[in-house]
Order: sequence, then structure tokens, then C-alpha cells
Amino acid sequence: MLLAFRCALASERVTAAAIEANEFPQLSQEMGVYAVPRIVVDGEPRWDGSVPEAEFLRRITA
Amino acid sequence: MALLRAEEEAKVRGWFAELERPVELLVALGPEETPLPGAVDVDFGAEAQRLTEELASLGERVTCRVEEEPEGFPRFPSIAVRPDGRDAGVRYDGLPWGYEMGSLVGAVVEAGRSESSLRPESLAALEALDRDLSLDVFVTPT
Repeated sequence: MLLAFRCALASERVTAAAIEANEFPQLSQEMGVYAVPRIVVDGEPRWDGSVPEAEFLRRITA
Repeated sequence: MALLRAEEEAKVRGWFAELERPVELLVALGPEETPLPGAVDVDFGAEAQRLTEELASLGERVTCRVEEEPEGFPRFPSIAVRPDGRDAGVRYDGLPWGYEMGSLVGAVVEAGRSESSLRPESLAALEALDRDLSLDVFVTPT
């Protein structure tokens, strides 16, 4: 989660939200959240789980 | 219930004392998603406000304010982390319970830094972005 926050704080082009899945069950269902952290980029579910910084940047900017 | 254990609170106070710029926590309150049947009956908005005020009390440069349905918030309650009071697009939607409190604390610490803690290569990749990017990370309290 912190990586997403750090990216948003470092770039005006990036926004980052942590979403507590239990409190937003409808949205979580729409995004198919079964495991956390689930990372959604531009509204599209992309992957589950933590990854190292370089890989995180590679995936979100791909 | 205390927000943090005594030893954790001491650590957070130490980190907050080293912030290089002010960080504002904006608690956005508004209509909340209907909880699942059988879910714990909690006033999430009031609890988010309480947690955030308590967190802000741990550092002189950390402040807290509350707004009803401000613009730019798709979900409530939400806590925005604002370096120098500026909207940097950083939100925590819902209650940062348990381990996730660490994410919010980490966001405050990062927002209070004058320079990013990301690696130079990462900053270069962000600098090269030619479009806006929205990151949503679904989490659960553990």
C-alpha cells in the first residue's frame, strides 16, 4: 500500500486510494476481491499481493 | 480502545517529530455503503474521525479537519493525506484498523518528507508518465 501512496505523493499524475474491502463490499465484489492486497489500475483489477518497488513501477507504468 | 500500544505510539511520535513539512489529514464524511447483513454495527464515520484526531495529536505538524461530503471523494468515510494542506490524491477509504494503521502512518511520514523515499529509477518512471494513473489498493484489517 505504501508504494502506491509514495507514487501518488511523488507524481501529480498519480492518485492512490487504499480501500478497506469489508466496508465497501459491493465495490469489492465488482473488482473481484478475494485476496488482498488487490491492485486495481485505472479501474481494472491487475494483480494480488505485494511486489518489490521496481516490479510495482514496471507493472503500473506498463 | 487506544489507537496504538504505548511502544508503537512512542515510535510514531518520533517519526512525526521529524516531519519536514506540515501534513493535514482531511476526514471526509458522507453517505456510506450499506453494510453486509450481520456486519458489526459501527459508526464508521465517527470512528474514522476519532482515529484521525488521535493520530494527529501525536505530532505538532500533523493536523486534522473534518468536512461533510467534500468534492473529489467517491466513498465515505475517507481520510485524505495532504502535504502542506495540498490534495495529492492520497486517500484511505474506510477505517485503517490494525495493520492498516501502519499504512496511514507511513503515508503521513512520506507526505512530511521534502524528498520522496522512492528510488531514483522509480521517480524517473513516474516522471516519464504521459497520462494520469489511478491506483486502488484493496486491503483488509489484519
